[in-house]
Amino acid sequence: MLAMLKQNDNQKKEEKPKKQKRQFSRKMLTFGRVIRYGVSNFRRNAWLTMAATVVMTMTLSIIFISLIARNVMLDTVNTLKDKVDMSIYLKTDTPSNEATAIQNELKQLKSVTKVTYISPEEGRNEIVQENSDSIDYLNAINEATNEIPGTLRVKIVDIDNTSELQSFVKNDVLLKKYISSDFQPSFAGSRKASIESIGKTMNFIEKAGVVLAVFFVIISFFVIYNTIRMAIFNRKDEIYMMQLIGADQSFIRGPFLVEASMYGCIAAVIATIVGYVGIIFAKAPLNSYSISVDSTYSLLIIFLPVIIVTMLLLGIIIGCISSYFATKRYLKL
Amino acid sequence: MILLDRVTKTYDQTAKPALNRVSLYIKPKEFVIIVGSSGAGKSTLLKLLTREEKPTSGKIIVGGIDYDNLKDAYIPMLRRKIGVVFQDFKLLPQRTVFENVAFALEIAGMSNKEIKNTVPRVIDLVGLKGKEKSFPRQLSGGERQRVAIARAIVRQPKILIADEPTGNLDPSHSWDIVKLLEKINHYGTTVILATHNMEIVNRLKRRVIEVEHGKIVSDQAVGSYVSNVKAE
Repeated sequence: MLAMLKQNDNQKKEEKPKKQKRQFSRKMLTFGRVIRYGVSNFRRNAWLTMAATVVMTMTLSIIFISLIARNVMLDTVNTLKDKVDMSIYLKTDTPSNEATAIQNELKQLKSVTKVTYISPEEGRNEIVQENSDSIDYLNAINEATNEIPGTLRVKIVDIDNTSELQSFVKNDVLLKKYISSDFQPSFAGSRKASIESIGKTMNFIEKAGVVLAVFFVIISFFVIYNTIRMAIFNRKDEIYMMQLIGADQSFIRGPFLVEASMYGCIAAVIATIVGYVGIIFAKAPLNSYSISVDSTYSLLIIFLPVIIVTMLLLGIIIGCISSYFATKRYLKL
Repeated sequence: MILLDRVTKTYDQTAKPALNRVSLYIKPKEFVIIVGSSGAGKSTLLKLLTREEKPTSGKIIVGGIDYDNLKDAYIPMLRRKIGVVFQDFKLLPQRTVFENVAFALEIAGMSNKEIKNTVPRVIDLVGLKGKEKSFPRQLSGGERQRVAIARAIVRQPKILIADEPTGNLDPSHSWDIVKLLEKINHYGTTVILATHNMEIVNRLKRRVIEVEHGKIVSDQAVGSYVSNVKAE
């Protein structure tokens, strides 16, 4: 009796993996069929394929181009930011060794990246060079008796954060002794406003870029959802028949998701090509307007595989989610 | 096999019930004809059997399955055991005869080898040998209905429900389809045929259940149909 029970147990143990294997191969078979139906629907519904692919291509292109544009604008602002420095003016009679000492103290500050000292002579030479084509201006400079102040040009990490520098200007004993009383440091004057405005613009561009991308993704969901819903409406009898002969939801929905993924993939490839071709042609004209395209362009070249995969995923996700909701209505049992 | 116990179906709370306390028993392998004018409740009765609709009250048991205990996830399994044929065929227009019939087996996860063995035999049974590669648009109405019947019986269901299968056919094709249904019944499938074609009902000499205003008004073992509804 015990032996028989053991044998039964063994038989059951042997049957379990076999059953699991059968179920797995059946699932794989069904999965393959779902893909086959999706591909064949894609081929057979030419007008829908065209319409959905065009809509998806437009959407993905807009998203891609808006992200490129955002990057280009950020680079341009960063370049401008790099060009911006803050000036601290010293009295005309400041000894150069004292100026160097102040320069070294400034370099110690965490928020400071670079400090250059321009002596009154160097400052005068700079002005002369910059205005070499204006004889009247040069004559005026030659006749002027007042000296140009020595200047400490300071570059800082974040142009929005000048607090450390400001407190240095206020409290440093040596600087207080030699700072020009006629000329205010530049971050305290009109340049401060322009520096702050660059910072604000940059923040705005960053946020606007994200908001625009999200906005286009949402719009694309709705457009593609409606395109696919229209197609599904035309095939509602087909869906009804499938339900009545016992197809489960995943078997009915699957081909629609496969179809939508295919629109997504084709659209992603076209949109990527559009983006790349666009930036290649726009590079030279934009550079001529001092818009920094080069670094975005190099990023696009280096990350080409990542960008293609991301675009494909985006296309597939947008297609699948829209298709999922579009089929939902007709899949009530 | 099929049991309906005091089944009522109301679509709208304020309207009259489409079926009103209907009780019915259909034995295995029986051939039952359901007659009645349009709106009498025939389609509702069939929809309750395929679980497209839930009854407002009453009990339905089909093939030992109590619909009260049937979870939504198992509805596709139930439907695989019931073959359904419609008046408007409901074929996949972009698929061939073979593909349309094979579809019923594919959704059940049957292997390609089994499909290749089974489908030609069923196509032969319904008299469409040689038309395997034709598309529905290339077939006559009668042939299309044969494809629909082949699809319905390919999984060897215990029950075949035919809702006005001759509604779109001329008389000669109609009778061919009815003969095919008789043949299927002869092989052991319970057939439920809903029609208001008097000529067919009277020639068949089978059990006839007449539904009017949501109620069964007559149930004759070998019945005839002399309703005031005109034959198609």
